[in-house]
Amino acid sequence: MSGLFPNAWYIARREYLVRVRSRAFVIMTAILALVGLGLALAPVGFRMLGADRPQRLGVVISAADPPPRTLGLLGGGLNPPSAAGQADGGTPRSANYELVPVSDPIAARRDVQDGRLNGLLTIGRSSSGDLAFDYFGDSSPTSRSLAAVQAASQQLAISDRLTRAGVRDPSAIFTPVGFRVEPLDPNAGRRDTAASVAAYLLATVLVVLTFMAIMTYGNWVAGSVAEEKSSRVMELLITAASPRQLLAGKVIGTCAAGLTQYLAILGAALVGVILSGPLSRAIVGGSGASSPFAGVTIPVLIVFGLFFLGGFVLYAAVYAALGSMVSRQEDVQQMVGPMTLVGVVGYFAAFTALSTPDSGWVHVLSFVPFFAPYFMPLRLVLSTVTPLEVVFSALLLVAGIVIVHSLAARIYSAGVLLYGQRPGIRAVWRAARVRR
Amino acid sequence: MGGTGREAPDHGMSLVVDHISKRFGTILALDDATFTVEPGRIFGLLGANGAGKTTSMRIVLDILRPDSGTVTWEGRPNTALPRRTWGYLPEERGLYLRMRVAEVLRFFASLYGVSSADASGEVDAWLERFRIADYLNRKVEELSKGNQQKIQFIASILHDPQVLIMDEPFSGLDPVNVQLLKEAFLAMRDRGKTLIFSTHQMETVEELCESIAILDRGRVVVSGAVRDVKRAMGRQVVRLAVDGDGTGWVEQIPGVQLTRRGEDYLELHVASGSDPEEVLRAALARGDRVTRFEIADPSLEEIFIEHVGRRAEEPERHLAEVATAPDTGAQDR
Repeated sequence: MSGLFPNAWYIARREYLVRVRSRAFVIMTAILALVGLGLALAPVGFRMLGADRPQRLGVVISAADPPPRTLGLLGGGLNPPSAAGQADGGTPRSANYELVPVSDPIAARRDVQDGRLNGLLTIGRSSSGDLAFDYFGDSSPTSRSLAAVQAASQQLAISDRLTRAGVRDPSAIFTPVGFRVEPLDPNAGRRDTAASVAAYLLATVLVVLTFMAIMTYGNWVAGSVAEEKSSRVMELLITAASPRQLLAGKVIGTCAAGLTQYLAILGAALVGVILSGPLSRAIVGGSGASSPFAGVTIPVLIVFGLFFLGGFVLYAAVYAALGSMVSRQEDVQQMVGPMTLVGVVGYFAAFTALSTPDSGWVHVLSFVPFFAPYFMPLRLVLSTVTPLEVVFSALLLVAGIVIVHSLAARIYSAGVLLYGQRPGIRAVWRAARVRR
Repeated sequence: MGGTGREAPDHGMSLVVDHISKRFGTILALDDATFTVEPGRIFGLLGANGAGKTTSMRIVLDILRPDSGTVTWEGRPNTALPRRTWGYLPEERGLYLRMRVAEVLRFFASLYGVSSADASGEVDAWLERFRIADYLNRKVEELSKGNQQKIQFIASILHDPQVLIMDEPFSGLDPVNVQLLKEAFLAMRDRGKTLIFSTHQMETVEELCESIAILDRGRVVVSGAVRDVKRAMGRQVVRLAVDGDGTGWVEQIPGVQLTRRGEDYLELHVASGSDPEEVLRAALARGDRVTRFEIADPSLEEIFIEHVGRRAEEPERHLAEVATAPDTGAQDR
């Protein structure tokens, strides 16, 4: 049996250089880096585009006997004071409204049509004596501002009824009450709501990153093996190096190229995140929204890095073995289909797990080698994991890698010499020679 | 090139393919094949397509394991030998098309443990010999098929292997390049290398090989030194041209058979035990003027046909059939 190195290293180096020098790689990386930068800057962009700018609402008071401090009450309803309990849905935190008293309703309607005002609210009284409201503006049922204005108008009307019933200072009724949440899992209590949102976002990002790496770079491995086979350079390779060296070199080289692309994208995104703070202060004032990077700690980075690499190496070996069984590159997609399915199943299961990170099945899957790369980082971010669990899962992953790589090398050694229509896994297995 | 009186081969130092069998699904690619290649010689592996030549080579290289039988070189089993013992030129030509010639050659040299510094001198010398020195920094895909084949040959010998195994090395080359490659073979032989190549071009074998094995349907039908193989045929060939009319008299001579009527000569087989000169004497006795009389060993072509039952160029079975045959993913060339 020959050692893995240095041949695996030479093969990896060739694979890496050919990959990163290719035009497709350069173009794709540049595009993805731009996308990463764009996504990181998107919150700032939305503010610039006015999604976060105060809504200007014209108010016409046509009621003969308006309640005292009409505009103040309305404004209080529309822009509730920041307090605990606001994350329960209700009024969106970032929306705020500027009320503009209007004396000329005709001109104001034109302003709404021309976009100078976002809406026009006319306050009158019905024959029953209650306040009555007319709203002119965007009336789409999903409009957040319409819902907010309606809710604030309701408050104003109730307050008006109370005043007429003789209650003093009815606005005190609407002061937010205290509302404390005690979590079922005592450890979850460490985090406040904003941190939970950030953790959720971070876990989502990690799952997506892992999934994309496995799918994209796994396919690179399969395609590259199939290319060597269809271009018949394989016979020279297999005489010069052992299947294990070829397999390891291919996986390492592709992984390095994939990481290069990832680092370029993440670097661009990071630049965007760093820039978005000063940018948003400069453009609109105020700090940025909660960033998924808030939950990144050193342990999370280490665990994610280990499981990300481990998962890639595990899946890539299978992809290489599958790639070795096809004769033409066109058949690669068909051959890797089942493996893609495994990856997708893990991905969707991980998405389900995002909302139930403490359940038993998530616990179990975080130890299964093909799923651990999704589930272990996810649990670390969203739930509680002991270091022992992480180490155990990592050991299982390493064992899985060793087993899968030696099986894959066996399939590979036979697969690369088989040229035919579509050798089934059984034909390949029968042809597989004893490992060298 | 027949025997030049070398001493008896030392089988302990030879490449010995000993009772190898290999089955792919329903096809028996090699059936108890046995042959010996003496060190420092050029050995021809002959056979039609599908006879088992490529499978034999892959088994010698240990990229395929036989179902039974062993391969030894210098007394050691091939499974225990380092990869750099062998230099292999596969029949199917393939290189990394988008890499430069120098890069590809450096890469393959590095896999065999040869540093780029050591490789580059050798590379320059070989490119020079093959008259493609200008192509060092070209991309492989810019080269013609013939030139790619030469690069592949160089890639297979940069690590100075003891045994060169070349599968149909001359196919697809123009006459000039065939000549260059033949000269390269002889140069390697003169360096003490052992060469094994497969072909179905008998003239090349006659020109280069000291010994051969003929494969048919996975079986070795004959093997050994070319001279011995020819002797074992037990007959000689006579080419005769006479001025007289009629040819019937020729076959009256005992042990003589007319095998071919050439443009201006006759080709005769003379069985062992008969004297070829009997033909000459008979012709002179008839009073014909003899313009050509030549005694020769039978050609390899004839030997091949005798043993296999058809010419080497006629495929025994189609590759496509083998490749798509049910219950097999393998093919054998």
